[in-house]
Amino acid sequence: MNALVSMTAPHETALNPTTLTRAKWAFTTRCVARDAAIGLCRDLSAAKPGDLVLGRVERIGSHKRLQLSVGRPAELYAGDLVIVVCGARYAPDQFEGLAELSPLGSDLLASGGVLGRMRSRNGKMAAPTRITPIGLLTGTDSIPINLAEYAIPLRPRPAIPVIGAVGASMNSGKTTAVASFVHGLVRAGHRVAAIKATGTGAFGDYNAYLDAGAHHVADFVDAGMVSTYREPIPRITRATDALLAGAASAGCDVALVELADGILQKETAALISDPAYRARFAGFLLAVPDALAAAGGGATLAKIGIRPLALTGLITQSPMATTEAETATGFDIASREQLRDPAFATVLFSRARFGTHRAHVA
Amino acid sequence: MEGDHDMFDPYNAHLAGTRHTISRMSRLGPDALTCRVAVPDHRNSEKPPLVAIHGLHRGAEAQASLLAPLAAVQGQMVIAPLFERDNWPHYQQVVRKRRTDLALLSALDDFAIAGVNCTDGIELCGYSGGAQFAHRFAMLYPHRVARLTLIAAGWYTFPDLAPFPYGLGAPTSRHTFWQPRSIGLLGTFLSLPIRVLVGTEDDKVDENTRSGADIDAQQGRTRRERAARWVSAIEGAARECGVQPNIKLIELDGCGHDFRSCLAHPDALRQLFPDLELPQAQ
Repeated sequence: MNALVSMTAPHETALNPTTLTRAKWAFTTRCVARDAAIGLCRDLSAAKPGDLVLGRVERIGSHKRLQLSVGRPAELYAGDLVIVVCGARYAPDQFEGLAELSPLGSDLLASGGVLGRMRSRNGKMAAPTRITPIGLLTGTDSIPINLAEYAIPLRPRPAIPVIGAVGASMNSGKTTAVASFVHGLVRAGHRVAAIKATGTGAFGDYNAYLDAGAHHVADFVDAGMVSTYREPIPRITRATDALLAGAASAGCDVALVELADGILQKETAALISDPAYRARFAGFLLAVPDALAAAGGGATLAKIGIRPLALTGLITQSPMATTEAETATGFDIASREQLRDPAFATVLFSRARFGTHRAHVA
Repeated sequence: MEGDHDMFDPYNAHLAGTRHTISRMSRLGPDALTCRVAVPDHRNSEKPPLVAIHGLHRGAEAQASLLAPLAAVQGQMVIAPLFERDNWPHYQQVVRKRRTDLALLSALDDFAIAGVNCTDGIELCGYSGGAQFAHRFAMLYPHRVARLTLIAAGWYTFPDLAPFPYGLGAPTSRHTFWQPRSIGLLGTFLSLPIRVLVGTEDDKVDENTRSGADIDAQQGRTRRERAARWVSAIEGAARECGVQPNIKLIELDGCGHDFRSCLAHPDALRQLFPDLELPQAQ
């Protein structure tokens, strides 16, 4: 018998109370009431995306730190007990993985605390950190605790102006653009919500929005999903509306919504191709790393009727690449410095809301 | 007189003394504005402040002093920023090199921290060069302005495609932050309540009047003529944008280009303090 737990049923185990206080709780568990966990389900085959997992670190790999629920990274050591969440991940620069657990060991797919089975990895990545799942945390009903139980309530879409940020790829500069835009709008006197509608649970983007001065920050974890990869589109759509409703309830007068990865990623592509989903957005920023991505991204968006408000992202750090992209696409450019400027941000926001009025020529 | 006043502590504005107290708020930092602040004894914390922008001769103190008594009647704070000559020589153009828009936004943030209601839209007024600043600031940040009162501006940014600051087109100077896309804000600006005041005797071209063939052709030669043309242009632009204009031209009978006579004129005070229902000028 595991020293951490005591057996009460074939697949059910009572938790030693000190276990939970010893464990490192990942950022993805931040919405969960810790005292709700009173038992363990040892049947890992029943694990679903969003279930909380008690695990033991076996081997430190690519992710050497775990993002804690309190918002700081914690160094990981072999033997650490961790509370993470079963989930999938889609990250072309890192791992692709599925929400599957194995008693022989599982993979830490994201440092925000996502545990699953790695399916592929980018060549520059080391093997993932290995964690042995001890069991799924259960509540008084002996049912595994799932993030969905702590999701903000589903509510209809509010009437709040929304500007989206999409990218050509992962790491194209979306989050920097959104954070910069948040900062510019806040300086101009707006109450700004920053929302990550899709992706994998982690505190990097979340904290970047907070640091930029957003009045309200939320992501899909608040809507009950540890990752949106392989989640049904209607669920993600409902989650977006719930997150926007939360922003409106917080008194925000504008919401900036980042959609993860590139516009060819399955869920992102499905969402922005859906006219009903797109109708939530007054406009989109397109973050790209280079001019060819700008041309390709612009053409891809044009097929579904989107003309971006502006090109942004890594490309704006290169004047020559920016000129190439401007020439090739005719799109406006919004660098991070410009987005942080309250006058520029106000104009961009206004253009998204009202379009461009033709000047009156006296 | 300015040296006689206490330092204003924005974090303790609610502790201010008598009917109104004029203080100096000195902020720290290279781009920080010093403001003259008139705090009424009985301050209505819901009431947005009246932010008064001085003319080219400066005189923030005088702005605050003249406006403070009536503002105090309605519990309103008067904030009169001082754009010092050395630091802000072209303050009225707002987005030239040293950004006076950022300086005012930053000052408003400080007042908001102190509990002054700067979020519902300030009441912004300006005299002469201050009126230039005021309408350009409102064009950039219309959501920050609840009411705009422009008194005796020398010239205006017109809602046309002339290069900024004459119009909303691309500026000719690379040191000026403005871009044609700023036209996108025009619709919001056009819906603001705007009152344009000018003296009936303010019809002379003086050394401070920007003159030249282009500007005279666009705006007219005198402040009086320019005010009328700008009001007309704003009305036309509003109609073109499908916005109901809320702009009025008020001529101040007997006033020349004189700060005190303009601000003391009953018609000017009625526009600056519409909630007080002051009597009509005789």
